[in-house]
Amino acid sequence: MVKFLKPNKAVILLQGRFAGRKAVIVRSFDDGSRDRPYGHCLVAGISKYPAKVIRKDSSKKTAKKSRVKAFAKMVNYSHVMPTRYTLDVDLKDVVTADALQSRDKKETTGKEIKKRFEERFKTGKNRWFFSKLRF
Amino acid sequence: MVTGKKTKKTHESLNNRLALVMKSGKYTLGYKTVLKSLRNSKGKLIIISNNCPPLRKSEIEYYAMLSKVGVHHYNGNNVDLGTACGKYYRVSCLSITDPGDSDIIKTLPGDH
Repeated sequence: MVKFLKPNKAVILLQGRFAGRKAVIVRSFDDGSRDRPYGHCLVAGISKYPAKVIRKDSSKKTAKKSRVKAFAKMVNYSHVMPTRYTLDVDLKDVVTADALQSRDKKETTGKEIKKRFEERFKTGKNRWFFSKLRF
Repeated sequence: MVTGKKTKKTHESLNNRLALVMKSGKYTLGYKTVLKSLRNSKGKLIIISNNCPPLRKSEIEYYAMLSKVGVHHYNGNNVDLGTACGKYYRVSCLSITDPGDSDIIKTLPGDH
């Protein structure tokens, strides 16, 4: 009886273009909204995972391999598989409902999420989130 | 601690409690609504039949683990569970959202 679809929860998208990708819930709308009369959430996820970095990579190669491509999306709860992991990256100011209205706003949001995800990846924390889900 | 063979008596009493929930409480039947009730934290107890496909069973158990809700593996298949609910169709999983007059939620989750 504990609500678990809360901000900072790591989830896996099940449907759509980004099926199989990991994402983090930024904002959840449990009772839906007028345009979406079902429970849904705003997620920020990884569209292209960072590659595996090995010790003998030069620093230029490491930088290239550690790049992350990110996305932001509104997604229905039933198209999402919650996990027991969380990822606390502060994305609330960046990822908002109106950031998804137009293409250029979406691009800038994506770039900002990418920056924050890359910083977090480089610290080596949240390894699970940045590793590709094999299936 | 694992009950190898569920005794006839406890099984019957579970059926009785389930019948009381059907009469006086609120419940939802079926996989989609079970997940919905777990997501909006309305579910209080989940009952899964024994022939529920294992992937679906583990998915429901995972959701229940996240929301700290008890899961009971019913000693019978979906036909039996449907009959126990008083329905003429098969029920593979059900979620009790309001037990009504029954004490099923207090007496069951010693199980799982």
